[in-house]
Amino acid sequence: MRNLGVTVLSLVLTTAVIGNAYYQKKQFYPSVVYITKSNPSMAVIYIQAFILVMLTGKLMGKVFFGELRAAELEHLMERAWYAMTETCLAFTVFRDDFSPKFVALFTVLLFLKSFHWLAEDRVDYMERSPIIIRLFHLRVISLLAMLGALDLHLVGHAYLSTVTKGASVQLVFGFEYAILLTIIVNIAIKYVLHTIDLNSETPWENKAVFLLYTELIMGFFKVVLYIMFLAIMVRISMLPLFAFRPMYYTMRAFKKAFNDVILSRRAIRNMNTLYPDATPEELAAADNVCIICREEMLTASKKLPCNHIFHTSCLRSWFQRQQTCPTCRLNILRSPTTPPQQPAARPAPQPAPDQRPPPPFNFAWPPPPPPPAAAANQQGENVNLNQAAGGSGSSGNTNANQPPGAAGGMPGPGMPFFCPPFPFMPFNIPPPIPPRDFSGMSDEEVRRMESSAREGVEARLLCLRNIQMMLDASVLMMRQYSESAAIAAAQNSSMANQSTPPTTEQTGPDLGPSSSGSATEQQKTSPSVSTNKDTPSTSGSASSSQPSTSKVAEERRVTSDEASSSSSSINTSVARPSQAFTPEQEEARRRRLQKFASD
Amino acid sequence: MAGSALRRLMAEYKQLTLNPPDGIIAGPINEENFFEWEALITGPDGTCFEGGVFPAKLIFPPDYPLSPPKMQFTCEMFHPNIYSDGRVCISILHAPGDDPMGYESSAERWSPVQSVEKILLSVVSMLAEPNDESGANVDAAKMWREDREEFNRIAQRIVRKTLGIPT
Ligand SMILES: [Zn+2]
Ligand SMILES: [Zn+2]
Repeated sequence: MRNLGVTVLSLVLTTAVIGNAYYQKKQFYPSVVYITKSNPSMAVIYIQAFILVMLTGKLMGKVFFGELRAAELEHLMERAWYAMTETCLAFTVFRDDFSPKFVALFTVLLFLKSFHWLAEDRVDYMERSPIIIRLFHLRVISLLAMLGALDLHLVGHAYLSTVTKGASVQLVFGFEYAILLTIIVNIAIKYVLHTIDLNSETPWENKAVFLLYTELIMGFFKVVLYIMFLAIMVRISMLPLFAFRPMYYTMRAFKKAFNDVILSRRAIRNMNTLYPDATPEELAAADNVCIICREEMLTASKKLPCNHIFHTSCLRSWFQRQQTCPTCRLNILRSPTTPPQQPAARPAPQPAPDQRPPPPFNFAWPPPPPPPAAAANQQGENVNLNQAAGGSGSSGNTNANQPPGAAGGMPGPGMPFFCPPFPFMPFNIPPPIPPRDFSGMSDEEVRRMESSAREGVEARLLCLRNIQMMLDASVLMMRQYSESAAIAAAQNSSMANQSTPPTTEQTGPDLGPSSSGSATEQQKTSPSVSTNKDTPSTSGSASSSQPSTSKVAEERRVTSDEASSSSSSINTSVARPSQAFTPEQEEARRRRLQKFASD
Repeated sequence: MAGSALRRLMAEYKQLTLNPPDGIIAGPINEENFFEWEALITGPDGTCFEGGVFPAKLIFPPDYPLSPPKMQFTCEMFHPNIYSDGRVCISILHAPGDDPMGYESSAERWSPVQSVEKILLSVVSMLAEPNDESGANVDAAKMWREDREEFNRIAQRIVRKTLGIPT
C-alpha cells in the first residue's frame, strides 16, 4: 500500500514537473533544457527513475520467480547490502568519472546482480523441493538465457569501450559482468545436474562429484579473472579496494574446493581399494540402517577400519566434506590401514640403522610420502576415477599418475620434483649444482630473471629452490659429519694428528656442488662415512683427502666474509666435535661452511 | 528421484512423530517445504526456564545431513549461547573446523550421525546448563556468572512472556 502511494506520488510529481516545464516553454527542446537546468526538477526525475527501476525489478521478479520465499528475500537483502558498500568504495576510486550516467550504470549492475543471486538461490532450491513443475524450468531457462546474453553483451561493450577510449570505469563494469557470466555458467551447470538427478529413477551418486569439480573449475576461472583484473588495475595505478572482499572469498572458496578435491579423492580411493564390502552377515549383525541416509543397506556398503558400515554412495558424498568416520570420527586418511598387498613394490627406504631425527629444514618439502599402499593402488584409483568422475576429465587423469603428495605440491615446469624420503637423499642424489655466480651471467640472462613475465618468475623460483635444497643437503651432511666426527673424536681423542677422517667427510658437501665429477666421488665417500661409525678407517678416506686440502687453501683466499645467519647456527651445532682440531683447521672449516651456506 | 536430503528429513520427521521425545515437538512448517521446520521446546524442569515453551525454527541446507542445519529461536531469549537475534550457537550445530566460538575441546560436533532430535535435546540441556565460555550473548554470559538472581528473573519474565501471561 505504501509502495503504491509512493509510486503514485512520484508519478504526480513527475507529471507536474514536466507539465510545468512545457507550460513555461511551450516547446519540446526548451522544456528539456529547462528541466535539466533546474535542480528540484532533476531530483524529481531521479526519484521517478529509481521508482521505475524498482517497478521493473518487481515485474521481472514476478515473471521469472513468482513469489519470493522469505529466505530468498533475506539472502537478497544481505547481499545487496554488501554490494552497496562495495559500490560506495568503487565510487571513491572513480570520483573523476562521477556523473549521472555512472550512477545509472551502477544501478543497472546492482539490478542485474540481484537477479543472478536470486537465480542461484532458485536453482539451489531445486534440491530441496519435492516437486518441480514445468513453469519452473521455463522460468529458469529463460532467465538464465536472458542474463547470460545481457552479461555477454555488456562484457563486449566494456571491452570495446576500453579498447577504443582507453581505461575508464568501463573496465570495472566489464570485469563485474565477466564475473557474473561465470556465475551464470555455474548456475546453468548446476541446473543441468539437478535436472538430470530429478529425472532419474535412482539416486545419482556421482552428482556430488560433478558438483565438486564444477566448483573447482569455476573457482579457478574466477580466481584468474580477479588476478587479471587486479593486474590491470594496478597497471593503470589504481587500487581496486572494493574488489578485495569478493576476491578474498573467491580465493578462499577456490582453495577449499581444491583441498576438498584432493582430500576427498584420497579418501574415496582408500574406500574403494582398501575397505572391504560389508558382507550380508555383517549387515545383519549391525542394525542394517545406514546412519547417513537412514535407509536400509541392502547392497553396496563399505566397512571402514573402525568397523562402522555405511552405503558406499553415502560415504562418498560425506568424504567430499570430511575424511572421517561419521560415527566415531576416525580420520581415515591418517588411520593406519593394513592393506592386503603391502611391500615389495617399494624396496628402497628401509629405516636407517641409526634413527636420525628428521632434518630441520624440511618445511618446504611436499607432504610426507603417501601410505605405502598408495603406489600399489594407483591402478585402482584410475579405475575409480573414471567411474566416479566420468567425463570430467583429462586433468583428473593426469593427476592420478602422480603420488597424492605431489598432487598437492607446486607444479611447474623445470622445478626439481624428485622427492625421495628425505634422510636418504644425499646418498642417492648429488646436491644440485649451485646457482652460478651472478657476475658471470650475461646481461640478457639477468634481464630475463628480472622480468615479471612467467619465465622470469620461474627462473627465480628455480634459483631459490636450488638454494634451499643445497641448504637442506648441507645441513644434513653437517649433521652426519658432526656425528661421525664426534665418534671419531671420542675414539681418537688421544691422537690429535689423526683428525683426518672428519676432514675427509667434509669434502662430501664441499666437492659435491662445485665440481662435475663430484657425484661419483661423493658416493664413494659417503658409504665410508657410515662405516666410520663402527670402525673409523683412515686408510680408505686418506686417499681422497688429498685433493681437498689443496682446495682448502684455495678457498681460503677466495671466500668472502659474508656471514649469514644460517652459518652461525651450523657452527654452533657442530661446535662440539671441533675441539680436536687445530685452530687453522677450525678456521678453514668455518670459512668453508660459511661459503657453503651463503652460496 | 528426490534428493537424499529430502528423504532423510522425511524419515526423521516420521521418527519424531512416532516417538516424540519429552517436551519437544518439531516438524516442517508446511509439507511443501521440508527444509524449514518449526520446533517447540519446553524449558527443562528445575531450571530458570522451567515451564516455558520456546518456539524456534530450523533451516536445513540442501546437502543435509552432510552439513548441519541452522537453528533460531523465534521468541525473545536471554541465554549465554543464544545470540540476541535468536540464533543458537552450540557445538553440535557446527562442523569440525568451523569454529566461531572456539570450542576446541568440545567433542560434540556435527556429523551425519546427529539428527534433529539430538540437536533439540542438546538445546534443552544447553538451556539447563549454559556454557558461559562460548559467549554468543556476552551480557547474558556475564550475568550468568556474576548475578545469577538477575539472570533468573529475566528468564522467568521470558517464560511468562512465551506463555502469554502478562508480566
Ligand atoms: Zn546411506
Ligand atoms: Zn567409525
